[in-house]
Amino acid sequence: MWQSLPLFGKLVLDAVMIAAAYTFSVAIVSARGRPRYLQAARLGAYGTVSLIGLAILCLCYAFVTHDFRIKYVAQHSDRSMPVGYLFTSLWGGQDGSLLWWLFLLSIYTAVCVRWMRGRFRELQPYVLATLMVVVLFFCVLMMFAANPFSTSVAGARTDGEGLNPLLQNIYMIIHPPSLYTGFVGCSVPFAFAVAALVTGRLDNEWINACRNWMLFAWLFLSIGNALGMLWAYEELGWGGYWAWDPVENAAFLPWLTATAFVHSMMIQDRRGMLKVWNVMLVLLTFFLTIFGTFLTRSGLIASVHSFAQSNIGIYFVWFMGFLVAAGAGLIVWRLPRMRSEGRIESVLSREAAFLANNWAFLGIAVFIAVATTFPRISEWLLKQESTVGPTFYNAWLPPAGLFLFALMGMGPLLAWRKTSPAMFKKAFFAPIAAGVVVGVLHLVFGKSLRFAPFVTPDRIYDGAVGTALQKVGTVLPLVSTVLCAFNVAVVVQEYSRGLAARRRATNEAFLPALIGLVAKARHRYGGYIVHVGIVIMFLGFTGRSWGVDKEASLKPGDTFQVDHYELRYTSPRMEVDQTKRMVFADLAVTDMSTGKAVGRASPAKFIYRRMPESPTTEVSMLHSIRDDLYVIVGEVNAETKVASFHTHVNPFVSWIWVGVLVLIAGAVISMWPEVVVQESRAWSYVKMAGGLTSAILFGLLIALSPTLAYGQSSSSLHAGTVEMNDPKERAIFPRLRCQCGGCPRLPLSNCVCSTAVMARARIRDQLARGDSADTIVANYVAENGTASLTVPPDQGALRLIYAVPIAASIGGLGVVLLAVRRWKRRDETVARTPRAPASAAERDEYDAKLDEELKRLDG
Amino acid sequence: MAEPTRQKKQPKSPSRSEAPAPKDDLGPAFPWLGWVLPLGSLAAALAMGAVYGVGTALLTLAGGVLLIVISILWASVRTLSGEAPITLEEALALGAPTAAEEQKRAVLQALKDLEFERSVGKIAEPDYQELVARYRAEAKRLLRAVDEDLAPLREKAAAYVADQLGTERPKRSKPPKKASDPVCPSCQTENDTDAAFCKKCGNKLGDATKDRRDATG
Repeated sequence: MWQSLPLFGKLVLDAVMIAAAYTFSVAIVSARGRPRYLQAARLGAYGTVSLIGLAILCLCYAFVTHDFRIKYVAQHSDRSMPVGYLFTSLWGGQDGSLLWWLFLLSIYTAVCVRWMRGRFRELQPYVLATLMVVVLFFCVLMMFAANPFSTSVAGARTDGEGLNPLLQNIYMIIHPPSLYTGFVGCSVPFAFAVAALVTGRLDNEWINACRNWMLFAWLFLSIGNALGMLWAYEELGWGGYWAWDPVENAAFLPWLTATAFVHSMMIQDRRGMLKVWNVMLVLLTFFLTIFGTFLTRSGLIASVHSFAQSNIGIYFVWFMGFLVAAGAGLIVWRLPRMRSEGRIESVLSREAAFLANNWAFLGIAVFIAVATTFPRISEWLLKQESTVGPTFYNAWLPPAGLFLFALMGMGPLLAWRKTSPAMFKKAFFAPIAAGVVVGVLHLVFGKSLRFAPFVTPDRIYDGAVGTALQKVGTVLPLVSTVLCAFNVAVVVQEYSRGLAARRRATNEAFLPALIGLVAKARHRYGGYIVHVGIVIMFLGFTGRSWGVDKEASLKPGDTFQVDHYELRYTSPRMEVDQTKRMVFADLAVTDMSTGKAVGRASPAKFIYRRMPESPTTEVSMLHSIRDDLYVIVGEVNAETKVASFHTHVNPFVSWIWVGVLVLIAGAVISMWPEVVVQESRAWSYVKMAGGLTSAILFGLLIALSPTLAYGQSSSSLHAGTVEMNDPKERAIFPRLRCQCGGCPRLPLSNCVCSTAVMARARIRDQLARGDSADTIVANYVAENGTASLTVPPDQGALRLIYAVPIAASIGGLGVVLLAVRRWKRRDETVARTPRAPASAAERDEYDAKLDEELKRLDG
Repeated sequence: MAEPTRQKKQPKSPSRSEAPAPKDDLGPAFPWLGWVLPLGSLAAALAMGAVYGVGTALLTLAGGVLLIVISILWASVRTLSGEAPITLEEALALGAPTAAEEQKRAVLQALKDLEFERSVGKIAEPDYQELVARYRAEAKRLLRAVDEDLAPLREKAAAYVADQLGTERPKRSKPPKKASDPVCPSCQTENDTDAAFCKKCGNKLGDATKDRRDATG
């Protein structure tokens, strides 16, 4: 069996399964308070982790030595690739990426086992067992459905297929690893939640244990999603950063539930409430990570990331079913132990704000989940085809997002239990004033600065719902700026009040007081910095309302204006290297408001030797604080040198990336470890800070190291620039999908394939004949089916796409209100029974002990 | 008073002075497992890589990892079968912190948070007083519970120690007097064998002491 590397690799995977099963059994057995067995289980976990490392090393070795007997190596590398790319192509395909997931899981397991050490002895057995179950799932998946070591029947090839040249850009290949780190990180809180349920220890123990783990996973989910946005923006060539693609949504959903959990944790911590909800959130987050990877790999929903259909989907379905069944069973079993210890006493309380926050996050998550899976739902249940394009999400979601944004500012201002009118005034005055001032300024000066407070979006529906959405969408820019000011004022106020209180008590100078303040309450103040990061990002998102698009065909020497830029087309030029021919079209750019030249834009088309029929579009951008000038070139005529350009001016986009950096800083501050008082402070602090830093650096290394993204986007070949000079065309083309079959969701306004060209020509003829937009759309739908619309029409059963999430949200609100009522009633019955008199008046010996412990907690 | 916190301290383990045992309980039977194998294989891999290339480096590393796997799993099985002696860390596990201990920590943190919120004006005074009283009562209850939990273990430990040392421990406050020890002529205090002056009154001890000192050198 070890005669050849592929067989040895398969053997190692088998061994992983056996070791994981061994660890699982020993861990379960150790649960009855047998430290010796627990020790053996911990060692077994380390052993499993090392075996996974061995498997990765074997696959690395196979890549480096070009062992083309292995199918996976042959499909994803060739002899000409440099060593660095060989390592990174390890996780570029289905099988290898599963092994990579397992590897990340093993690292998390090892760190978790080491971190737990002498603590959580009751929970440890079940944490280990749960992690081993997840390891087993991925092992089984690899062994039976996607074995990275499987060999091809035909034997070793002389050379492999190598890297698709389209994948040879940095952005398309740096975002999956970070996302994986985030996804896999959700396994550890999941393990703690399951352990808490099984052992019945449902107080704050498990919450305190998994707090930093969840923060870490959340951080990398944020980085992963942000890198995805950056990639889409810099590479895909349609001028935006988020297309609400099913795979994007699949990565976004666990982020939403993780954020909800990070907040609702605090309620259980402080008031002992929402125990059932927290457990459900953690289980749901883990479920969504599995669901996300299932969506990505099974090809269930057609998307830009189109992968080969394989039979791997069914394994995921079974595992997800098992997760749901086991999770529900555990929760129902332990329901009696999860009674709420407090109640909501006032709407103006922090608990109420957090409840609203959770309700909103879950509402948005349900909305996105329903909309993402709607094409399948409508096909199976309603026997109608449909597609859900980005305009749908962009019409419905911003109001909900802004509601959350408002809550983000209100939460820190409200007190626990209830906020008295005096406190309310004191807290809310300055932030509301700031919001009002900025709102007025925006109303007065917005238009002249070209940032109008009201921008009417396109309608997506024709009826009442469409009008309502359009009206709401119009005021969003103003609401957004007001809320940005509000939130910033809240954070500034919190910091200054905290500083003032601290300096009153300790008489320190400003900087030491600031450092001391943050150090004492890392989660709180780090969290505020995260909020500031979100504010900056929202400002970036709002910029989209003021974006300008323009297309033009120019001959050399022509100029044209877009927003406040003037572009002069100088000339095309061609360059050649080993793999491709590059056609650049150079433009000199001047900023008309200052009159100064700001640089040169050189958008290009790259024609790869291997794939001459599919040239790629290379974007050229000029960044500034105020906006990005985004230029793409379409066709360049070789004789006349006429080039067609498409330009976008995207205000404030750079702020999104700045906001992400601030968010990362805030999260790092939150996670910074506390010093354990008993040990020598300096050394233990160094150890823990070192541990956290190296964890983050390692994570970033994985996140930013070049790798092949799994799944190459075939439809990016068709995405491009389309000239739409007539406003009537602008009203029609984005609503209709291209029917070429090669691009799953591209509207006629973006697709450049030949089918789209013909369809657009036909529609132009119809327009010239005088047909109305509605007639044209109705004809198109009659020919091609309802799936040819980018947004499911607001008719009949297709209304379910927004009706179901809205109904679910209202239902959720009902559940919340019922729960609040029940807590209130229970609290009242308890209050009626006479409680033991609080012996607050007498100080017994334990008071002295208590004071000393409190003092010790200070250090 | 510091009873509940004693468990958090890690006193020096006697086994540590013998071999450079790793801080983690990776394997009592293989104290060198922690660092020697991983670092050794990494170093060997780098050396091989410099001489023979990346492939050989990976192979060496894989070989090292294989050895690590075997030793860890072997240690695990040995621990299971009881052949390996139990480490001090494991012994401490027998007195694992109970749920009460964990809850107590949470209540203390809540008290701290309350104090902070009051200092920044986030909570009304009557609410604060009520909550503080409630949390303090809870914390005291937990302290009492932790002490009760520990009481039987403490008795057990005391009994164990008494057992080890024999039931009767002769009370000795001074070391046994040797015949050669000088006695001060003025205050009759027993002095050390090689004392030149009495340790109590400073009187110079006689020639007998000097002779004795010459003899012992």
